[in-house]
Amino acid sequence: MTFTLDSTMRDLHGAAPKVTILVDRCAGCQECVVRCPTAALSMDTGNWVAKADQSLCVGCRQCVRTCPFSAIEVEGAMMVGPRAETSYRHPTNLLGDAGEIREGILTLEAAVAEASRCLECPDPTCVRGCPVHNDIPGFLHALREEDLDQAQQVLRRTSVLPDICSRVCDQAVQCEGSCSWSLAGGQPVAIGALERFIADNSEIPPAERVSEAAEGLEVAVVGSGPAGIGAAWELVQAGAKVTVYEKQDQPGGLLRWGIPDFTLPSEVAMRPWDQLMEAGVELRCGEEVHPDRLSELLEHNDAVVLAQGAGVPMRPPVPGTDLDGVMDATQFLTRSYAALERHQGMDELRVAAGSKVRPPKVLVLGGGNTAMDVARSARRLGASAMCVDWMDRRFAPVRPDELTEAEAEGVVVKFSTTLAALEGEQGRVAYAKLSHTRQESAKEKPEVIEGSIETEPVDLVVMAMGYRNDPEFSPVLPGTPIRKEVKPLPDRQWTASGLLANPAPDFARHMPVGKLALGRDGALSKAALPFGDRCWAAGDALVGPSTVVEAMAQGRRAGHAIIARHPQRPARTAEPQPPSSTRRVLIAYESRSGNTKAVAGRLQEALNPISAEVTCLPLNRVGAAELAEADLLVLGTWVEGFVVARVGPAKATKAWLAQLPRMAGVEVALFCTYGVDPKGTLAAMRKPLEAKGARVVAEAAFGRRDVEITLAELLGRLVRQPGTGGVKVARRS
Amino acid sequence: MPTRTKMQIGKGDGDFRPTAVPPMDPIAKAVHLRAPVTDGMKEHFAPTDVSPGLEVTRFKPIANLVRSRKFQFFLILPNQIIFWLVIFLGLAGTVVPGLNFGTAITWYVWFALVFVMMVVVGRAWCSMCPFGGFAEWIQRASFWKRTQKALGLGIKLPESLAQYGLLFSVGMFLLLTWIEEFFNIAGPGVPHETSYMVIGIVSSALLFFLVFERRTFCRYFCPLTAVIGTVGTMGSVAGFRTKDRDVCVECKTKDCMRGGENGYGCPWYTWPGSADSNLTCGLCSECYKACPSDNVGLFLQRPLTSLVAPRRRRPDVAWAVAGLLGLVLFQQINATSAYTTLDGALNKVMSFPQYPNPIDYLGIIGAITAALGGIGWLMSRAFARRDLVFTGGGRTFIDKTSKFRAYFVPMMYGLVPVTGADYFARQLPKALKHASRLVPSVAAWFGDGSTKSYLYNYRILSNPHIVLTQLVVVGLGLVGSVWATWRISGRELAPISAKPLAARFAVEAMALATGGAILFLYVIMHAAS
Ligand code: SF4
Ligand code: SF4
Ligand code: SF4
Ligand code: SF4
Ligand code: SF4
Ligand code: SF4
Repeated sequence: MTFTLDSTMRDLHGAAPKVTILVDRCAGCQECVVRCPTAALSMDTGNWVAKADQSLCVGCRQCVRTCPFSAIEVEGAMMVGPRAETSYRHPTNLLGDAGEIREGILTLEAAVAEASRCLECPDPTCVRGCPVHNDIPGFLHALREEDLDQAQQVLRRTSVLPDICSRVCDQAVQCEGSCSWSLAGGQPVAIGALERFIADNSEIPPAERVSEAAEGLEVAVVGSGPAGIGAAWELVQAGAKVTVYEKQDQPGGLLRWGIPDFTLPSEVAMRPWDQLMEAGVELRCGEEVHPDRLSELLEHNDAVVLAQGAGVPMRPPVPGTDLDGVMDATQFLTRSYAALERHQGMDELRVAAGSKVRPPKVLVLGGGNTAMDVARSARRLGASAMCVDWMDRRFAPVRPDELTEAEAEGVVVKFSTTLAALEGEQGRVAYAKLSHTRQESAKEKPEVIEGSIETEPVDLVVMAMGYRNDPEFSPVLPGTPIRKEVKPLPDRQWTASGLLANPAPDFARHMPVGKLALGRDGALSKAALPFGDRCWAAGDALVGPSTVVEAMAQGRRAGHAIIARHPQRPARTAEPQPPSSTRRVLIAYESRSGNTKAVAGRLQEALNPISAEVTCLPLNRVGAAELAEADLLVLGTWVEGFVVARVGPAKATKAWLAQLPRMAGVEVALFCTYGVDPKGTLAAMRKPLEAKGARVVAEAAFGRRDVEITLAELLGRLVRQPGTGGVKVARRS
Repeated sequence: MPTRTKMQIGKGDGDFRPTAVPPMDPIAKAVHLRAPVTDGMKEHFAPTDVSPGLEVTRFKPIANLVRSRKFQFFLILPNQIIFWLVIFLGLAGTVVPGLNFGTAITWYVWFALVFVMMVVVGRAWCSMCPFGGFAEWIQRASFWKRTQKALGLGIKLPESLAQYGLLFSVGMFLLLTWIEEFFNIAGPGVPHETSYMVIGIVSSALLFFLVFERRTFCRYFCPLTAVIGTVGTMGSVAGFRTKDRDVCVECKTKDCMRGGENGYGCPWYTWPGSADSNLTCGLCSECYKACPSDNVGLFLQRPLTSLVAPRRRRPDVAWAVAGLLGLVLFQQINATSAYTTLDGALNKVMSFPQYPNPIDYLGIIGAITAALGGIGWLMSRAFARRDLVFTGGGRTFIDKTSKFRAYFVPMMYGLVPVTGADYFARQLPKALKHASRLVPSVAAWFGDGSTKSYLYNYRILSNPHIVLTQLVVVGLGLVGSVWATWRISGRELAPISAKPLAARFAVEAMALATGGAILFLYVIMHAAS
């Protein structure tokens, strides 16, 4: 459909948008033209500058964000109707009510109307903002055509948990915060509510086998939370035999007990597991996998995915946390979940109340997601609840909708307050000493105001200040949790999309949506890289406490990497090695004068007929995503330095090697092109690679005159079966 | 809904990879950019496109040099050293202008050299300029390294100002010239005044670089940019241009504009993909370094190509030429006795201390500019076809269209060679009389320079020979103008004129008359001295 503007909408919004192209500076590059959702922009071919048809412009300002020369300005209103209000249920009697609070969009008409606010942007920033990169304009398009099954299918391409993610995602800093309308300062399309509408109103297809790509693989997945689900789903669909180990007696991890029913109903949370089990995934509940069991798992499986989460609760460094009546959020939520499910009271609360006539007082330490969940569950179990958080209300990273809901349910939330000490009576917690804090900006740490202590009587204290990774896993997952970094020069296509140009839109609570998304995406591509020979990690185990949707995306990515790499356990390697024709080769070169590039090209030519796939890329375009897809990396560089002094790999090559991700299990061949003498160039490249777990299988130095011979020798090494160890074929003339 | 064309994943080298397992690139799947406009692109750029045979960077040593990040630094460094010397020696050195290295190099050598570079190359000076160079080092917080953080506010110049293009620069140039004439700085006069002038330029450059983004100063405000830009269009260097425009049009990242791994985005707001003249290429080579597809080259072209060939004509350039011509003619007129009388009388009435009186300065320049405008207006009324509509362009200064502009703008482009030649000729006496003073001025550092030395008093050419040289230079410029005007009028005025040939002859006559006036003034000036 075409996006049309009716005149009433113009009246509604006052000043219509006005596009001004600074013709002096416009270079006619068409970055704006190819991205304008309404085709309001085209080219003045006489002067080769952009020109605008004002009557088509809707004021989304994508052109402003994407013009490399800041040569375009848009003033005036945004031509878009008001965002759909989703409905909420306000329980009249909270006690024991575990029903879902948010109701989403209720009718197809309302859904279609909201979907019509979407511009179907040619370069949709919302897709980049979504951690799994759902094709949002794609499913909204189908929804507008009232084809819910098609919409569901579009969603399924990227997500196996649309019904869950649409309920638990913090859309304001993900898809919706990155929507064009949000970036322009307006109200984004209600993507989350629409995704939920589709997921809830069309059949969710089972986890059927769709390919034979992983036929014969046996994979163990540790943890049955969203990351485990993602990995298992991906693998079982490709024909692998998957066994999932879960330490609790029910699958689902955080999905099940971590998120209370009033946000995520059990039926929804359990849907993926019902489907996975139907698809033949073997689930072993009540089996905790300690890191020392890993080698045993690896012995009996071709690959292992560690998706055990990050479940070690953080504790405040104050006296009194060892008193009776102090528990952590995990314990509380598991028990409150069970109590609410069985429509019973919770023992801990009963004990806490003792003989008092008033309802038990629960103090929740923390003001985030988990803290709200704890407090709201406590309210539903008849307690009074107070959350304390040391951040200022203005800067606290809390979802406004959750805060509103919690406060509406009678939870007292005190910001700028921190716990100084807990005091007990007869070994049981009785009083909390609270101090006030001061915080003037989001960047600075809150500072405790001396002498501002007040005493609050409490009956139960729940620590919900967050979690961290289990240090016991550090030896097997070195470097975790990995950081979600953004390089100083971000991915060029992300920059071109304009997502990074408006760093912190209002709707996203002034969070830098673009940077966050890019950081997530970097972590996602790292989920494809194994630790050790056949071990992958995903979800919180990989990146520290994060979100459901990220965990699922990483799980799928790890699963995908396993299918692509097809690892085999040693017991099986007695079977014939796969011939080199199944190998995917990545040739990465750093070239200055073109010599190295030329050799890389020759190698590509020669390897092409005997490999599944050969990719040849300049080094600066090789990142984790490219590495993850290769079985053999051929790395070439020119040799820098003066004839005798400081000879070594080119600076860019060294820099690339220094930031290398994990390379376990990757075979590497090295070559360099030199003028006079390569000296220790190859060794200097080999060391960092081996340190990251790569196996260097061949090396060659190309002089000016012996290219042909060296090439032949190097190819000789590479055509042989892998696994024969490194052989030097450097020739010196 | 926009057409869903599959996005080319930016892997370059055309290596599309089939895999056994479907590749997971959901973003690429969701992106469906519109197809860029290519209709009319070939025709638009055909006249100005460079020929692959004239690519200088085809030669590996040159390519390696230009690719090096230190390349521009080492171009700037010597000039940087010289200009700080100029400042320092102007303040601390000898007060004899001819013997002070600062004044000697600035006014005997530098100005003339800059003109030679303009005419031969284009913006060669901009690539080595110590003013912008210095300010840019600070803006980037780096001498040559590609950094990601810029110092300063990075404001973009608002549309309300940017639409006037080069005209601010003309204004700055007029102001600077007036100051220079008032204090007789370029005479050269007292050396410390030259220092103050240089300090003034450097600090205003720095201020602009810290307030605005990129080289806003160079593109709009630098007092020299209008002169270098317009006169430079005669040059034989086309600048950095795309090798294959189709690749640029399909390019998904535009690193040459936004900045990439190894190069900054074009500081001059020029896209190699659409550059049709060397007017706004500062030859900094950043785009060459930034392009990931190796699709930029440094190209040569035939002289005057950037003047006659571009299809896009800019009114700011036209008015700049008119104003600059006004200024250089003023500088010739001021040598006549009639002017001296006028200036003296005006100064007396206004109690203004000395030459040049700002009223007659601006009055004469304004009158010449207006006269040129008037001629353009008369031509448009006399020749324009009545069946054509000339309005309908944009609303801003830069893109408005009118009958007047349709004649005036191309006409002024035609006058560039003779204007450039006139500026150059004006510099000749100082260079040809005194360039050799550079040697004693250097010797003066060691207390060895003397106004009595042979080289101090050596004349490369005698006065009559100098005038002759000036006449020859202007004559050559005039030939250039006549040729350019003929070509331009043939393509741009003939189709819109009721009597095409008459229109072409009329503008030729105007070019000739301008040249004649300049030549005549040189003869008079000589007679006066
Ligand atoms: S504001 Fe949006 S609709 Fe208007 S011209 Fe820019 S991109 Fe197109
Ligand atoms: S993106 Fe900017 S420079 Fe490019 S065509 Fe559009 S307005 Fe012109
Ligand atoms: S998965 Fe989450 S972030 Fe992605 S589109 Fe759905 S609600 Fe938005
Ligand atoms: S949801 Fe927003 S960003 Fe995404 S395609 Fe629609 S309008 Fe564009
Ligand atoms: S010069 Fe290079 S970076 Fe710039 S548009 Fe062309 S191909 Fe892209
Ligand atoms: S970046 Fe390229 S086009 Fe721009 S000024 Fe420098 S050399 Fe010229």
